[in-house]
Amino acid sequence: MQPPPISFWHRAQQIPRHYIYLLLAAVVVWQLLFPIRLPIAPSVATRGVYDAIAAVPDDQLILISTDWDASTEAETAPQTQTVIEACFQLKKRFCIMNLSPPMGVKLAHDIAQKTAARYGASYGVDWCNWGYKYGYDNVLMAIAKNIPKAIGGDFYGKPVSSLPMMEGVKDVKSIGLVVEITGLSGLTEMWIGLIQGPYRVPFASAYTAVMAPGYYPFLDSGQIKGMLVGAKGAAEMEVLVKRPGKATDIMNVQSWAHVLIIALILVGNAGYVLARVRAGGRER
Amino acid sequence: MAHLFDPARTTHALILYLAAALVASFLLLLALHRLLGPRGRRWLVVLVTFVGGLFFGLEWFYPAHGQPSKNFLTDWIEPVSNMLAVVGAFTVGLGIYSLTQVHGRNVLRRRIGWHNSAAFFLAMVAMLVFTLWEHYLRLPQPTPKLVPWPKGVYEVLFNGIFMPLQAATFSLLAFYIASAAYRAFRIQTAEAGLMMAAAFIVMLGQVPFGAWLTSALPEVGSPLAFFRLEKLGEWVMSWLNTPAQRGITFGIAVGALAMSLRIWLSLERGTFFSEQS
Repeated sequence: MQPPPISFWHRAQQIPRHYIYLLLAAVVVWQLLFPIRLPIAPSVATRGVYDAIAAVPDDQLILISTDWDASTEAETAPQTQTVIEACFQLKKRFCIMNLSPPMGVKLAHDIAQKTAARYGASYGVDWCNWGYKYGYDNVLMAIAKNIPKAIGGDFYGKPVSSLPMMEGVKDVKSIGLVVEITGLSGLTEMWIGLIQGPYRVPFASAYTAVMAPGYYPFLDSGQIKGMLVGAKGAAEMEVLVKRPGKATDIMNVQSWAHVLIIALILVGNAGYVLARVRAGGRER
Repeated sequence: MAHLFDPARTTHALILYLAAALVASFLLLLALHRLLGPRGRRWLVVLVTFVGGLFFGLEWFYPAHGQPSKNFLTDWIEPVSNMLAVVGAFTVGLGIYSLTQVHGRNVLRRRIGWHNSAAFFLAMVAMLVFTLWEHYLRLPQPTPKLVPWPKGVYEVLFNGIFMPLQAATFSLLAFYIASAAYRAFRIQTAEAGLMMAAAFIVMLGQVPFGAWLTSALPEVGSPLAFFRLEKLGEWVMSWLNTPAQRGITFGIAVGALAMSLRIWLSLERGTFFSEQS
């Protein structure tokens, strides 16, 4: 006996995965080559990061903890770029450091170096790199008490205390803002528990879109002054620093990729519901 | 006493410190190995764990005075952190040793896929050699346009191969997510319907396309402004997601506290040598 023919609605539920991959790849390539640019409006969370940078007094430093690597680069690199861009535009001195993964320190250094060249900023005067520091919470506890001793050498192995911008920098009171840019969960809790909470150091952050929902409670409580959510946050920062770049391009791609995924879910569900209706509600 | 752990000021002092530390560590380990049985070793580990936990707890909670504010343990924070960094650095060596053992055996015995193990050795050695070489070139800053060839090779290995490989591996997730969302997301219950509605609102609220879809609605000054997708998405994240996340975080924190206490007091099953005893 011949098996009953598969109905159209059943087929709608079983699109082969390689077609889905191809469709997604086509959407990505299409938007990279011929982008349809739509306006981007900064959210309250993103504006919070920019305002927190702007509010740092001139005698204090901004500490940017770049705890990311190439796996999350699509989101965290533009975030780092825009935060550094904002620091240079607002003439705020900043230090980069890295707790984990160690790759982040070089990636962020390259971004800062290129951006600094554009603004004519000098290493050691306008910005510096404290390098990768192993030890997570121990590092933060040590920084809180004595920065030059806890950090020791910078990215090049030179004592940080010898850098002109580090003159007079003793402990956590010299830091006017911490910006944590990361693809790792758990580090924010450390910063808030050991630096933001006890010493009242303003804290802002940037996360990959997938981990950001977990940090809304801290944003709501005011412990996080502002938050960049994935490439969207970076694109919104690009609007604030008036320099559209990689994140804006990514948002064009992401817009249409989301539309495709929603369309696929709708097709699958339409097939599911209509197949059930045709079978008299028996099918699951 | 804490000044004993200050960094060496000269190269000779550093070599002397290293030699002294190596000899002292060797003698201490030898003595412990000879004098302590399995039970004694277990108690030593328990004691060190307890004292380590107690140190950080006490330093944090003990009242601090003066300017800069500190207590009797504060000066030890930095040397103890350095000790932890040293212990952590040993794990790198252990990792390399373990990987070399596993992959070395694969290559020597020509097991299936041994060429992957050979690729591991090639990648590890190339990265190690050229990263160190680049580091010790001590190029002036800003880097000159014409760089020595080891720096060029390093840039190709790091920026040209390693980074794209890592980014490409992670980006494959997007394809799996698209396929999985299409296959798994079926409105079989009312709860699934609610979840889908929330997902659509957040997905569209996150991208400029969503904002454009509802751009006809006023931005402010009207109740309709709430229905702009970017605002509706923010509302879902702030008003629905936040309390749920807060509850989850609270639960995790209580669990972590209990777990930390068990580890600190060496009550956790399977800790250290309990399998042996």
